[in-house]
Amino acid sequence: MATEAAPMDEKAKRMRDLLSSFYAPDPSISTSGSSINASFDNINSTSFDADQYMDLMIKKSNLEVLLQRHVQMAAEIKNLDTDLQMLVYENYNKFISATDTIKRMKSNIFGMEGNMDQLLQKIMSVQSKSDGVNTSLFEKREHIEKLHRTRNLLRKVQFIYDLPARLQKCIKSEAYGDAVRFYTGAMPILKVYGDTSFQDCRRASEEAIEIIIKNLQTKLFSDSESIQARAEAAVLLKQLDVPVDSLKAKLLEKLEQSLDGLQIKPEEASTLVEDDDSSNDTESNDQHPAKIHEDAVRGFSEAIRAYREIFPDSEERLFKLARALTAMHFEYMELYIKKRVSAADFLGIFRIVWEDVVLMDEVLPEAALSDLSAEAAQVTLKQFVARMFSHLQQDISDTLLKFDINQKEAVEGELLKVVLEASQKAVLQGTTNIFQDFRQLLDEKTGIFIKMKDLISGWIQKGSQDFFRSLEAQFLVLSGKTSSSNDIEGKSSDKIHAGLILVLAQLSVFIEQKVIPRVTEEIAASFSGGNSQAFENGPAFIPGELCRVFHAASEKLLQHYIDTRTQKVSVLLRKRFKTPNWVKHKEPREVHMYVDMFLHELEEVGKEVKQVLPQGTFRKHKRTDSNGSNTTTSSRSNTLHNDKMARSNSQRARSQLFETHLAKLFKQKVEIFTKVEFTQESVVTTTVKLCLKSLQEYVRLQTFNRSGFQQIQLDIQFLKAPLKEAVEDEAAIDFLLDEVIVAASERCLDVIPLEPPILDKLIQAKLAKSKEHNNNTVSS
Amino acid sequence: MQGGSSGIGYGLKYQARCISDVKADRDHTSFLTGTLSLKEENEVHLLRLSSGGSELLCEGLFSHPNEIWDLASSPFDQRIFSTVFSTGDSYGAAIWQIPEPYGQSNSSTLECVASLDAHVGKINCVLWCPSGNSDKLISMDEQNLVFWSLDSSKKSAEVLSKESAGMRHSLSGGAWNPHDVNSVAATSESSIQFWDLRTMKKNNSIERAHVRNVDYNLKREHILVSADDESGIHLWDLRKTKFPVQELPGHTHWTWAVRCNPEYEELILSVGTDSAVNLWFASASSEHKTSESPVEASRQRVNPLLNSYTDYEDSVYGLAWSSREPWIFASLSYDGRVVIESVKPFLPRR
Repeated sequence: MATEAAPMDEKAKRMRDLLSSFYAPDPSISTSGSSINASFDNINSTSFDADQYMDLMIKKSNLEVLLQRHVQMAAEIKNLDTDLQMLVYENYNKFISATDTIKRMKSNIFGMEGNMDQLLQKIMSVQSKSDGVNTSLFEKREHIEKLHRTRNLLRKVQFIYDLPARLQKCIKSEAYGDAVRFYTGAMPILKVYGDTSFQDCRRASEEAIEIIIKNLQTKLFSDSESIQARAEAAVLLKQLDVPVDSLKAKLLEKLEQSLDGLQIKPEEASTLVEDDDSSNDTESNDQHPAKIHEDAVRGFSEAIRAYREIFPDSEERLFKLARALTAMHFEYMELYIKKRVSAADFLGIFRIVWEDVVLMDEVLPEAALSDLSAEAAQVTLKQFVARMFSHLQQDISDTLLKFDINQKEAVEGELLKVVLEASQKAVLQGTTNIFQDFRQLLDEKTGIFIKMKDLISGWIQKGSQDFFRSLEAQFLVLSGKTSSSNDIEGKSSDKIHAGLILVLAQLSVFIEQKVIPRVTEEIAASFSGGNSQAFENGPAFIPGELCRVFHAASEKLLQHYIDTRTQKVSVLLRKRFKTPNWVKHKEPREVHMYVDMFLHELEEVGKEVKQVLPQGTFRKHKRTDSNGSNTTTSSRSNTLHNDKMARSNSQRARSQLFETHLAKLFKQKVEIFTKVEFTQESVVTTTVKLCLKSLQEYVRLQTFNRSGFQQIQLDIQFLKAPLKEAVEDEAAIDFLLDEVIVAASERCLDVIPLEPPILDKLIQAKLAKSKEHNNNTVSS
Repeated sequence: MQGGSSGIGYGLKYQARCISDVKADRDHTSFLTGTLSLKEENEVHLLRLSSGGSELLCEGLFSHPNEIWDLASSPFDQRIFSTVFSTGDSYGAAIWQIPEPYGQSNSSTLECVASLDAHVGKINCVLWCPSGNSDKLISMDEQNLVFWSLDSSKKSAEVLSKESAGMRHSLSGGAWNPHDVNSVAATSESSIQFWDLRTMKKNNSIERAHVRNVDYNLKREHILVSADDESGIHLWDLRKTKFPVQELPGHTHWTWAVRCNPEYEELILSVGTDSAVNLWFASASSEHKTSESPVEASRQRVNPLLNSYTDYEDSVYGLAWSSREPWIFASLSYDGRVVIESVKPFLPRR
């Protein structure tokens, strides 16, 4: 055997092959099957050529192998024979058993036919009987069915007839749910026959339902009912096909109405806050407005909550409503702060509003109320800050103007001083207060304030910067220096009291030196945060700039004061020099009255200045100093003068100009127009200097005859003493007075000065007269 | 300041108030000035800036019968000019011609072309028609405005029309609109009045008290500059006369005169009784202001004063730009000193 490894497989295979060869129609297969054991694979194929195989075998193999092969083949053939024999035997066996089985079957089937026929007969009879029963019962069944239907119908009719009563009963017992169920059940019938058979019934039930609807609606609207009940009512109403939208609208309307009640009206706001404050000590008084308000808001929020549960699909409207409430709150708050409100009051209101917002936010978190109100709060706060400043500004200008009005009544005295002090106080106190208030704002712990701390600081800084800037602008407007564009201010500009300008000037200095540093400190201490984030363009509050602004303003105002004062004198002088014909002037008899007016003006300036401005510190020193030098200058000019006068007319004329030039050369050029300082003396001096300069210029424009010149000479001589008394810089005054005389002499056709004795006499006369006049006024 | 270094001085013998640019002289930068002396013999000086611009030469010296209060050179003939003069108790105005050839003799007499003798009161000024070739004149006294036609060949002046401004408005001076030859501005005690020469009627006014001097801006129509005694210099837009377009602080004392530069529209000169000449930069006109960035505007508002020439001994009354070299101006102080200055360092960049 060539393959001993798998004898079992070998055997099975062989068996199968044998079987197939046995049944196969082609005998060649059997031959192939019989030769399966041949090691040569082609031995099983149909195209196996034995001769060829033999040839191949003989050629390839030697004798031994051939012999071996022969033995092997013989064995195989023998095996095959045995197998065949076995197969035949087995088949025969099977045939025998099959024949037995068939024999048995044949005996069993015998007798079946008769049974079958019997069965058929029986079934036939059963069927006929059942048919008979059926026909006999049919009529009765029909009848019963009919009766049954009628009964059902009747029951329905009964139900419908009972419906009103039943509904009434339900109403009585408030079982609206059942009622609605009944009604909706009866609805189809009523719809079909309602107009004919059940008219009354339908009407009655509809009435009942109407009542039910009404009741339901009241229930829905009544705040006393529980939310659950109301929601049920709403559902029922919906089932009853009552238009829910209108209900919704109505409910919303109601909510909106209640909104009105929630508004914090500006006029109420104060009481709200006041009571809020006072509630601490009067705790027994349980119903203060703030409490009421809070309850109202709470109720409102409850209502909203209910509504939301009832109509879950219409949240948008609610959002709108809630937003409206918030917006309204802030709107009213804005109105409220239009009046002046202290920070505490403001905070009180703000707190209430904020509480409201929080309440609402709880109910409607989706409405983004907190964002909305945060925005609104920002705006309001910003406005509040701005308004605080504008109020302060208003206060300050009120203080200034109030006294100005009083000025007309209370004529003299320390009025300007009072105004100045009051306004200084107003500014200082005002700024202190305002910052105190702001600090309250910062200390406030309400949520939004903490968030906005930086912003608030920024606003305050910016606000104070703007405040000072606009204050400065207002000062200038008040002073009439800048004609404001609106005519209302413009027309009153000429009525502005000069003293006010002076006060404003000094106030500006005060602000520059005291207020701004203080405010800077305040800001640095409390409000330093936030500027970096909120304002990219550096800090909003720039004290340096403000100081500069006010410094410039103070100088401007002071200059303006002097200007207005000298303008008055200038008008005076202009009239004096324009009116007479100087070429035909008559001999001087007395000092002209314009001198009095001039001096009076100066006196007024002196008075005002004394009230408002500080004294120059070096006055004493300067005076003694200038006294010394003054005597020499004046004496020199006097000698010069006398010299000049002593010459004969013809000589004088030629040399006059030369002389004046020479005199100027020798005299140091007197600085007439020096910078004005914030001292009494400086202002008075500057005023006098400017007036004298004007006098000189007016003189230069005229031509005088001898008498005209003498009049000027007399007037100037008279002016000398009082002016020197009033003025710090005596050298300059001397110089200017001389200049006037020189100008007059230059413009004089015939210069012959008055003799000193006559001059003296006239001046004495004038002095005596004015003294007498003074006495008169005093005594009278 | 640098006024002392760059200025070219010239001394008149006597006090003087008025100086005028000789506009008709196209070859030289010349000025005419006249003295104001009550008792001496007054002179008219014709000054010419040397070609190098370093010297001021006296080209002619003419005696004038009376003290001169106003002097204006005619725009069409360099030899013709007008003066307003006073004898002490009366005033007169006349047109003069410089004799030819001038400059030969040191002191020659002026030839009187015409006497403008239609006035009784104090005459303020004589204005030449700015158009340059017309021979129309206006003379102004305190109450009247007289419109003249001059015929220089016939040596006569004819009154074309005369109108009284009324007793209440005492006129003090004026300016002829270079943009509209029919319009003349006159300053009065309480307002600036605008007269239409065709009808001789007042057709507009700016309510402003004590205006001392006005000048039209040659380059910018509708812009008028006024100088007040007290409140400085104002720029007006003639179309909006209610408020000034811009204010300049003016001088420490009165601002006596203002002159707009004939070439550089922003430059304004003013002279004052505080012995100073101020050079201003006034960019303001309503259109310009809006176009400028606010920063720039505020900077200019901070200091419109470009320079202050303070090298004077007395009040400065006379002022004239040179129309030939518009960066040069002449100023005249009361002590008779003419100073020529150049504003070249301050010219706006173009």
